[in-house]
Amino acid sequence: MRPENYEAIKQPPSNEFELNFGPNHPGIEGNYAFRVKLNGDEVLSARADAGYLHRGFEKLMEGRLWIQNIALVPRICVPDPVPMEVCYSLAIEELCGLEIPERAQWLRVMQLEMSRLAAHLFAFGGHAATTGMYTPMFWGVADRDLILDRFEELTGGRVYSIYNIPGGVRRDMPDGFLDRLGALLDYLDSRLPDYDSLFFRNQVFIRRARDVGAMTQEQALKWGVTGPNLRATGLAFDVRRDDPYLAYEKIDFDVVTQPGGDALSRNLVRRAELKQSIRILRQVIKHLPSVKGAVRCPIPNPLAWNVPAGETYTRVESSKGELAYYVVSNGGDKPYRVHVRGPSSMHAVQVLEKLAVGSRLEDIAQIMFSLDACPPEVDR
Amino acid sequence: MNELDKIPVRQEISVAQGSVKRSNPLANVFDELVRFCQSRSMFMLHYCTGCGAIELPPAMTSRFDMERLGIQPMVTPRQADILLITGYVSVKTLKRIILTYEQMPAPKYVIGICSCTVNGGMYWQSYATAKVLKEYLPVDIYIAGCMPRPEAVISGLRDLMGDIKSGSASNWKRYFQNYDHYLGNQQKLFDEDWQTPTDIIAEAEHYGLITDQTLGEHTALLQKHQQPLEALEFSLGEKREKIRGENQ
Ligand code: SF4
Repeated sequence: MRPENYEAIKQPPSNEFELNFGPNHPGIEGNYAFRVKLNGDEVLSARADAGYLHRGFEKLMEGRLWIQNIALVPRICVPDPVPMEVCYSLAIEELCGLEIPERAQWLRVMQLEMSRLAAHLFAFGGHAATTGMYTPMFWGVADRDLILDRFEELTGGRVYSIYNIPGGVRRDMPDGFLDRLGALLDYLDSRLPDYDSLFFRNQVFIRRARDVGAMTQEQALKWGVTGPNLRATGLAFDVRRDDPYLAYEKIDFDVVTQPGGDALSRNLVRRAELKQSIRILRQVIKHLPSVKGAVRCPIPNPLAWNVPAGETYTRVESSKGELAYYVVSNGGDKPYRVHVRGPSSMHAVQVLEKLAVGSRLEDIAQIMFSLDACPPEVDR
Repeated sequence: MNELDKIPVRQEISVAQGSVKRSNPLANVFDELVRFCQSRSMFMLHYCTGCGAIELPPAMTSRFDMERLGIQPMVTPRQADILLITGYVSVKTLKRIILTYEQMPAPKYVIGICSCTVNGGMYWQSYATAKVLKEYLPVDIYIAGCMPRPEAVISGLRDLMGDIKSGSASNWKRYFQNYDHYLGNQQKLFDEDWQTPTDIIAEAEHYGLITDQTLGEHTALLQKHQQPLEALEFSLGEKREKIRGENQ
């Protein structure tokens, strides 16, 4: 458009104005936008503007073989891809009535917890950056990279591992993997006090994050909040404990809660979950060598695999919340319908829209990062 | 078949770069110095468009440390030199990418990270993504991979630095020289009343990059859909002449 065609829109004088927040904004997580209405710097209303990352996953999956979709699903949530693979595999196994070997179950638990550690390290680093502290971000990303190195050793891929397939995992661990994982856990454990003094007990963070984006437990339940965000409102609900899958029944861990429901509590829950994940991984390391046997059960030729007709709903606890797949098969070699119930689509759209109201403009980024929403999963 | 389909999109023609005759013998040395400085201080726009963006924080922070090459993230397009397209672009994002690209001051460079920008990658059959990025923007360097590792990203950036230093990274000129081609592809995707707030034709005039590929039937559509329906670049030219005349 040529500049002389611009026309100022005449409006009555007012303190209120509308602002596009994102998608090209450093305070926004990923490619996501908000349209906020402000009075001064107070948010009057916020409207999510999603769809920048829409790829039509659920449609794409209907056009590919069951096994091809394994490569597609981790792309739904980039920072925490493993739960996607595991949940989709669990759904197929349930439809086919496959019983996966115990060793595969433990290997899956190991990956899930490694992925959770990586995602939480990333999340608190991101939150720190929105409060103007860049050092925690550098630390979090650097330590996450060490976990990615272990993923690379185990699976060949840094971020998208595609290590789980229906029926188990692709191959066994390399020799000495558990020792190196143990050394990494020791290192991460020794870093936790540093994180505390740098970030989680830092007054800059505490004063910025306290009472920001607070919600009560009733609201959280009504809005469909799950995962660490729900636990931050004081409700001890965790799919790993309340609807155990894989080997989680045999593992001893605490479901951490915090009473506040605000950005501070949510981060403190994540901080405590780092500790719990390390604890779970230590148990895996202790237990895994005693579990012998195959890492996957025999499956039919994957390129001509007709999954029996039926429908199923499987859920796992991802680092963002409860992740579920609703899979329908009509007996063909491709899924008839797959629906992904992602935690972020609740957190980033309906919850964030409501929590942003009444807060200040500079806190929107903080609320978004404290909810740890994952835009690719909102849009899918 | 609507009107738009009847207009063929022109093939992009690479225009020979006319070398400017510099009478001062020191000018070439000076040019080289400028290019060297440019290649060592690049601001990278902080716009993560797809899943490849997850490898940028490791590449930027302590472990791989892009900053030692003089590359830093920058928050606004107005001060950025490099636009990184990190992965698949949905149609909705592509509009924003084009708006962003046009706002960046020249010389500007586009890097397409991930296979998805090369040919659609995993999402080749998706209804929501634009498949081949270079149809819509001139791309300087592609870094293929799903997703490329931070080392690959850094190596791609180093290649770009080399190109800038040697003066061969001039793809941004092609956007002005072949504007009709790029606009045609954009209109195919976004419909014929697609408009951006930047005046590319005037900018092309400013840089002296108007060729016979710059204006065409698609730019005519651009003019048709804006109000008022006048031959605007001429009126703008006349205005300039007038102002110049008054000043003299
Ligand atoms: S190439 Fe792979 S990693 Fe990159 S955007 Fe496409 S799917 Fe994502």
